[in-house]
Formats: sequence, structure tokens, C-alpha cells
Amino acid sequence: MLGKGAKRKLDEDEEGLEGKALAAGAGAEGLSKVSYTLQRQTIFNMSLMKLYNHRAVTEPSLEKRVLINNMLRRIQDELKQEGNLRPLFFPPSPPPDDPVDESFREPQPAFSVLSMVAPPISQSPALSASSLTSPSSGLSNPAPLEACLTPASLLEEDNVSLCTSPSPLAPPAPTSRLSPSVARDSFSSALDEIEELCPSPLPTATSAPGATSPSPLQLCPPSLNSGALDSKDCSKPCSPKLEGLVPLAEERSAVPNTPETLPPNSLDMSTSPSASSSGFLTDLALDDILFADIDTSMYDFDPCTSSSGAAPSKLAPMVTADELLKTFSPYSGAAPAVSSNQPFKMDLTELDHIMEVLVGS
Amino acid sequence: MDGHGDGQSRWCLSQVKGAVDDDVAEADIISAVEFNHSGELLATGDRGGRIVIFQQEQENKSLPQCRAEYNVYSTFQSHEPEFDYLKSLEIEEKINKIRWLPQKNAAHFLLSTNDKTIKLWKISERDKRPEGYNLKEEDGRYRHPSSLTTLRVPVFQPMDLMVEASPRRVYANAHTYHINSISVNSDNETYLSADDLRVNLWHLDYTDRSFNIVDIKPANMEELTEVITASEFHPLQCNTFVYGSSKGSVRLCDMRASALCDQHSKLFEEPEDPSTRSFFSEIISSISDVKFSHSGRYMMTRDYLTLKIWDLHMESHPVETYQVHGYLRSKLCSLYENDCIFDKFECCWRGDDSEVMTGSYNNFFRMFEREGQRDVTLEASWENGSPGCPLKSWRVSTGSRRKRNEIGVDCLDFSRKILYTSWHPQENIVALATVNNLYLFQEKLN
Repeated sequence: MLGKGAKRKLDEDEEGLEGKALAAGAGAEGLSKVSYTLQRQTIFNMSLMKLYNHRAVTEPSLEKRVLINNMLRRIQDELKQEGNLRPLFFPPSPPPDDPVDESFREPQPAFSVLSMVAPPISQSPALSASSLTSPSSGLSNPAPLEACLTPASLLEEDNVSLCTSPSPLAPPAPTSRLSPSVARDSFSSALDEIEELCPSPLPTATSAPGATSPSPLQLCPPSLNSGALDSKDCSKPCSPKLEGLVPLAEERSAVPNTPETLPPNSLDMSTSPSASSSGFLTDLALDDILFADIDTSMYDFDPCTSSSGAAPSKLAPMVTADELLKTFSPYSGAAPAVSSNQPFKMDLTELDHIMEVLVGS
Repeated sequence: MDGHGDGQSRWCLSQVKGAVDDDVAEADIISAVEFNHSGELLATGDRGGRIVIFQQEQENKSLPQCRAEYNVYSTFQSHEPEFDYLKSLEIEEKINKIRWLPQKNAAHFLLSTNDKTIKLWKISERDKRPEGYNLKEEDGRYRHPSSLTTLRVPVFQPMDLMVEASPRRVYANAHTYHINSISVNSDNETYLSADDLRVNLWHLDYTDRSFNIVDIKPANMEELTEVITASEFHPLQCNTFVYGSSKGSVRLCDMRASALCDQHSKLFEEPEDPSTRSFFSEIISSISDVKFSHSGRYMMTRDYLTLKIWDLHMESHPVETYQVHGYLRSKLCSLYENDCIFDKFECCWRGDDSEVMTGSYNNFFRMFEREGQRDVTLEASWENGSPGCPLKSWRVSTGSRRKRNEIGVDCLDFSRKILYTSWHPQENIVALATVNNLYLFQEKLN
């Protein structure tokens, strides 16, 4: 229900997210735990945007990139801790680093995290609590989900493999573990409490063909066919841009925490346009980064779309996303805030060219 | 937290330099502010690679009540934009730091740096010129030998004062990463330059070589998690320097210990307070500036939300911590989104080390008295204060009620920030840069 939520003060939201969620469980409410996860997701998306959205004439600041990368790693480690390990899909690796090359390239794990967080992103609009864990059983339709997060050029290049069940993929490149175990304690204890808060199993049986039934403690993605739908939704004009992310986080928080209150059919993406679109707004985060403002008629030829056969559902109007953005950010007047919301304009032809260079074809 | 609360502070606006309209060219944005060792000269650098030096008027110095006026002394182009062909990236001409050398003769010397190259500039005055050459006309043309009939000695005649800036040294090609700090050693012969991963030691006279004294570059760049953010020489001990990192730690190194100072002698790091832990803990702990006190006994570090003063003899925790704008703690997510969380604020000491100062948002700046534990928030605004009139202090409130001279957190303008500040070494005059302008404030003496 985009745009219908009451406007909330930013500082209340922030204090709830940061202060309460980190209170190590002592009296913290379930809502704040969920908000913690949502905020983490928002920060994760923002961090990705910052790293990959940057197209400066001069070299971007190394310190900034390192700090953002550390943030991503930390979140990635947290997610790993939550048991969110799933087979990962790697894009073709970049050319091996020249030994004399002293540039800092964001390491591979950053890519792998995209796939890892795909399930939580897609499920969260329907069930905010469901973004917490995703069992490893969710294998049946991860590929189309991940397809949403890979660059379009890769979709073109390796179409077939994307739409079939993925083979078990190589484990992520070893990341340098962040040292503080103290950090994990507070986070993991918070996460444990989130798990305890999990409500009764979701009504996924009806709407999740092929999905394994979720255990009570692990909130399975409610409808794995949403994955398939998400892949269809990829083909939609993804012009909500990045603003869609941020207000969405807030919008989700505004949704009552108890998942039971949501009608079962909200899990079925095809019948609930607003739910599905809000789900895929975040799914398309990376898509927005890479090819916003692209003529999306190209997506009509996506084999994933054609294979699933269903017609893509209409996207919710973009206007509401912008409105939400304005309500979300009090700093929208400031120049830096505005610039970070500008979509990353990259020609599809330019992507093609880059891929040609990389692949050498 | 605000001490003076209502009422007047001791400070009043002295001067504002720069265009007063809102339309500011990118090149005019000030990026460095630095008094020289006597305070007579004030240098500013901007994003266009230019340096403007202001000089304090001498005539009024005998009258203690008068405001000291700074007027333009010299303007020159220090750095030009360059292009790195290997990476296909521009090298900005923006001046990152200016450091003055102690004065040894009539000329003034300063070091200025952009991301890649450091330059030594000599600023000298010329107020006489020789006249009465035998072989040349006054305009420089050579006289015909047959017209030479007499012999005379050229004499110096007064002329209009001309201030010349000439580059004496160019220290280039020593940094792969972006230079963030330069610091002149107390021996007045060497200086250090620091980039994200390395600190180099130079001799002022030699541009073709520098010694690498700190190198934190990992063998595998993918494992990089920490960078150098600021570095400074000790003001009195020529063998000691410090460097701060993006993880909130400051390392003190002794160059006598080894040629490569990767092993620190002291590590200044405050353990994290678990109650304030958040996603952004690391980012806000990143040291944006480190400055020794004039006495050399203390060191001040600035991170995103606080100012910390360390006793060099105690590494475990700072002796004083000042909250600069703690009300931003609940806004970190938005500040991360709009990149403000990466803003690098500088800080500075008063000449007698009794006060410290740093900038904030909304064109606010904060001064902290160390002894009396008092602090004040002032605004750099040419609209709200006439020269000579004492500034009113501000409070930032998080609640919904507003008193006079209070502003809500949500009303702060994050595009107006004071990153660069400098305190006159002897008098109570501070210079700070907003985005558009240079402000000079002076303490009222009464």
C-alpha cells in the first residue's frame, strides 16, 4: 500500500531502528527487531548503490570505498551467521588483477552478497518478519530471483543457465573476517530474538508450489513462485529508481508486524499488484543502479520472461515512491541528498560494449 | 550541553571574504585555511587550485581594541588539473592542505598540496627596482653601443609593492593514492606527506627522492580494510609523528626506532562503547583530523561526532571528549545516504591550548573551553551579525519546543558546513571557511 501510510517522524524511526534494536534484547519489542533487519537491508542497498553507482570523473575516495566495503562485509557476515547461505551465482569474474595494479577493486564477495540477500528482499514486503532467515531449502526458484540482480548484459550472455536450476556454485571467495566477536554477540543475540519472535508458519502451501514447508522457526520465503514472478517483473520498466528502496523500507515498517494480519493472497504476487510491485522495487535495486532510464522494451525478449509465460503485472505508479521519498528524507533539500537519488544512467549499448571488451568477443 | 545558553558570546564577526551571493562556482569553494606562524598571514586554498593569502594590517596593531583587518596580499594559481592517462581519470587541482614554513628571512614559504603533488611556494615582496642601467634602456631594450658615453651605477628606486609567488620546488610522483596530509617537521628541513596507504618523508631541498616511512598497503588489495586519514609531526620532537586511521585509531611513531615505522610506538584507541553501537560505528569513528597541541603534550582528534583530547602519555582513552553535534547520532542513516557522514571536519587549538574549536553543519562552529568545561555554538553568517557585534550562541534542540536562538535538528542545513578552521597562533582570531566564504571572528576584549 504505497503512499497510504501515515507520515512518521524520521527521528522516531531512526531511534527505533538504531537504539532499540541494539539494546541486546532487553525489553526490545519485536517491531524494532524487524526494523533492525529492514534498516540493515536499506543500508546494504545504499552501500551497493554507493559503490557501484559511482561514475566520477576523478578517482573516488579510497577511504569512502573502504568504509562502504567494510559495511557490506559486516552485513554479509551477519547474514551468513543467520544461516542465509544459499548457492551463489557469480557473474563472470573480472579480468585478473595486474600485479602492479594498485587500485582497490571491490572484492568478489560483494557480488556474491547480492544473491545472498535476494530472498529476504523479495519476501519482505509481504511479511516483514520473513526477511530474517531463508532456509537452504529455497533452491527451487532462486535462479530467476538472482537473475533480477545480475546485470542485464550477463542475462544476455548466459541466458540458458539462468533459467534452469542453478548448479551448486562455488563458495564465496574467502573474505577477511571482521575481528570483533563482540559485534557478533550483540547482533546475533538480537537475531536470536528475532527468530523467537517468528509467528506461526506462513500460509505458503497454497501459493508456493514446489517450496518446502517452512519450519516454524525459520521463516521460509512465503511464495517461491514469487521468485518466478520477480523475474517477470524484471522486465518491467524499472524507473522507480532508487528512491523506491528507501521509502519502501519505511513503508514496510509501517505495515503491522504480525504477518498473520496480511491476507494470504498478498503472498501471491500476481494477484496483488501493489505487494508484488513493492517487492520487486527492492529486487530491482541493482537493476536500477545499472541501467535506469533504459528502454525496457529490450526486456521483453528476456528468455526468463518468455519461459515463465505469464504476463508481467503492472507496476504500481512511480509517483507514490517519490512522495514517500520526500516524506522519508528531511534532507531532501540538501544537494548531496539529491545527488544520491539520481539514477545511474548507463546506456545498454555501453554495457554491451563493456561486456564485449571483457569477454573478448 | 551548551554552556553559554542564552546571550552573547565573547566572539564577534570581524570580516567576511568572498562573494556573498548564493551562486558559487565549484572552483571557488574553499578547501584549506591556514594561519602562518606569526598570524600575520592567512592562506586559503580552493577547489580551483588557487591560493589567496591575506595579510593583517599593521597600522592598527598598536591599538588593542581595534579589529585586525586582513586584506588580500597575494593570489596565485598553485595547482593545475592534470590527467592520469593510465587510469583515465582526472587529477583534481583542489588544494587539500596548506602548511607554512617558519619564517627565516624576508620571504614567506608555504607548502601546498593537491591529491598527487606537493609544491613549495616562495612569497616575496618587491618594493624597489633598480634603475639607471648602463647598457639597457628603462624598458629593457639594449642601448646602441655607440650611444654609451658615460658610466653610472644603477640605484634602487622605490616602486609600488609587488608580491610575487614563485614555485621553488615541486615534489611529484611519490604518491599512488590521494594525499590527505602534509606536515612540516620541527627541524625545518623535512616534512611528511601522507596518502591513504603510505606516509613519505621528504627533505625540502630534494624533489627527486622521498623516504617511505609508513606503508599499510596489504599484499592483497582485496583485504584492505583500513586507510590513513591524517598525519602530523610532533611540534617539538623531530623524530615523532602520528597518523590517524579510518578505524578510529591513532598511531604514534618514532623514526629513530626503524626506517620503516610500520610498528607503532603508541596506539591511541578508545574502546567502543557498546551502548552506542550501530551500523555506522566504524564510519563515525574515522579520524578526520589530528592536531598536536602547541605544547606538544596533548593531541586532539576529530571524528564525525566528537573531539577528543589525548594525553600522549596515555593511550587507553582520551582525557577529554567533547560532543560536537551528538544530536546527529539518530540521523546517521540519512547522513549515510546523502554522504554527509563522510565529511571530514578539521579542528584547531587556541594558541595557549586552553580552547579548541571545530566546525559543524548549518554553518555552525563549536568552541570548547577545556578548563571551564564550557562550550558554545556560534553561527558563521554575514546576515545575522554585523562586524563588531557579539555573536549570539545557538542551541540545537531535539524536542519540539523552540526557544529563542534554538533550532531543531530537522531544520539544519547539511549543505552548509564548516570543514576548515584555523586559529591565530597568538591572538584570539579564528578563520573558518563555509562553502562560499571565509569568515574571520575576533574575540571582544573588554
